[in-house]
Amino acid sequence: MSTPNHHPGEDLLWDYHRGALAPGMALAMQTHAETCPHCRGDLRLFDIMGGAMLEELDGVAMSNNALDLALARIERPEADEVVETVRRPAFLEGFDLPESLKAVKIKNRHWAAPGVWMAPIELEGAPKGSKTYLMSVKSGLQMPEHTHRGREITVMLHGRYRDHKGRYGPGDFAMCDESDQNHTPSMEGDDDCLCLVVQEGPIVPQSLIAWILQPFAGI
Amino acid sequence: MKDDSLGPVITTPEALIARIAQSRDRQAYAQLFTRFAPKLKAFVMGQGMNAQEAEDLAQDVLLKVWRKAEMFDASKATAVTWIYSIARNLRIDAARKAKRTRELPEDLWQSEPPRPADQQLADSQSVHTINGLMETLPEEQKTILRLSFYEDLSHGDIAAALALPLGTVKSRLRLAMTRLKTAMAALVPGDRV
Repeated sequence: MSTPNHHPGEDLLWDYHRGALAPGMALAMQTHAETCPHCRGDLRLFDIMGGAMLEELDGVAMSNNALDLALARIERPEADEVVETVRRPAFLEGFDLPESLKAVKIKNRHWAAPGVWMAPIELEGAPKGSKTYLMSVKSGLQMPEHTHRGREITVMLHGRYRDHKGRYGPGDFAMCDESDQNHTPSMEGDDDCLCLVVQEGPIVPQSLIAWILQPFAGI
Repeated sequence: MKDDSLGPVITTPEALIARIAQSRDRQAYAQLFTRFAPKLKAFVMGQGMNAQEAEDLAQDVLLKVWRKAEMFDASKATAVTWIYSIARNLRIDAARKAKRTRELPEDLWQSEPPRPADQQLADSQSVHTINGLMETLPEEQKTILRLSFYEDLSHGDIAAALALPLGTVKSRLRLAMTRLKTAMAALVPGDRV
């Protein structure tokens, strides 16, 4: 499989590294990084740089009993790590999901239009108004023209599409915002598209529903 | 074992972690703790934790080092990089008050395919000199790294703090990263200390 061509910017990578992203955005970054050696390399470089910065730092004295406490703690039995297994919905059988999405709760899909389904992803601590979901679009469909309110991230999992910015395939990270007027992505190839979508801003129902409800077959 | 009096024995943190992994060596753990706990405490205090939280975090990080020691792979990362990545994750978890611990550090460092021995050596060697490499960066780039790591600022915050356009902050960070990557890649066999 070829590696992704569209990447998140430095600022997003950095905010992901320091844990400053909302859960949906962090999930999108994690999903992209899983398939992208380039961004994984950048994230590892952050760790290397952070390690070097840590090494360089003068310490602040720990309290007097800190070492005793540390030596006592390692003698205590380790609590078993609770590994929550998440059941994968039946409609995702057969999809080769990335690890990042195997650990999240994916709710039932609903059909937004013929050939288009959405399955919301439940994320703890997601800001109000933000939305994270899987979306599948049948091959050959074209989305009607729409605009964005707030940032919207799409990470491709399967299939391909193109828009005014370029072509997108598996692993590609696409970000749209208000500046992307007249966005008309169209699906390419014979495979249905499956993507992870994160909408950061408050939903503007008219535009979202209009977009979702009106896909038409394009040839 | 005899203790030859050849002066102080310099033990690398990598060797200490290996001793913990192999024989649950408590003395090695004490050494590692003494060396890194104060640094970890200082690091996260700089990022906004109070002294008690920072001390607890330093304790938790090193406890995790003890428990996960056998997962440490010196061919993929230096000890300090690994310790930093554990600290980063625990800090993020603490901030989110999440119950589930994430396993990002292991994932990030262990999912890479094995590389030729030469390359591994070059990598672990180069991270030992990463501090030296970072010293060679222009001051304007170092400033951005310090604000990023020591003060935990976003690029937008850094732009505001330095009265620079966001694009300038991003491009300076990218320049620093590219320079470090290039320099690290250049430390291929033959050029080792």
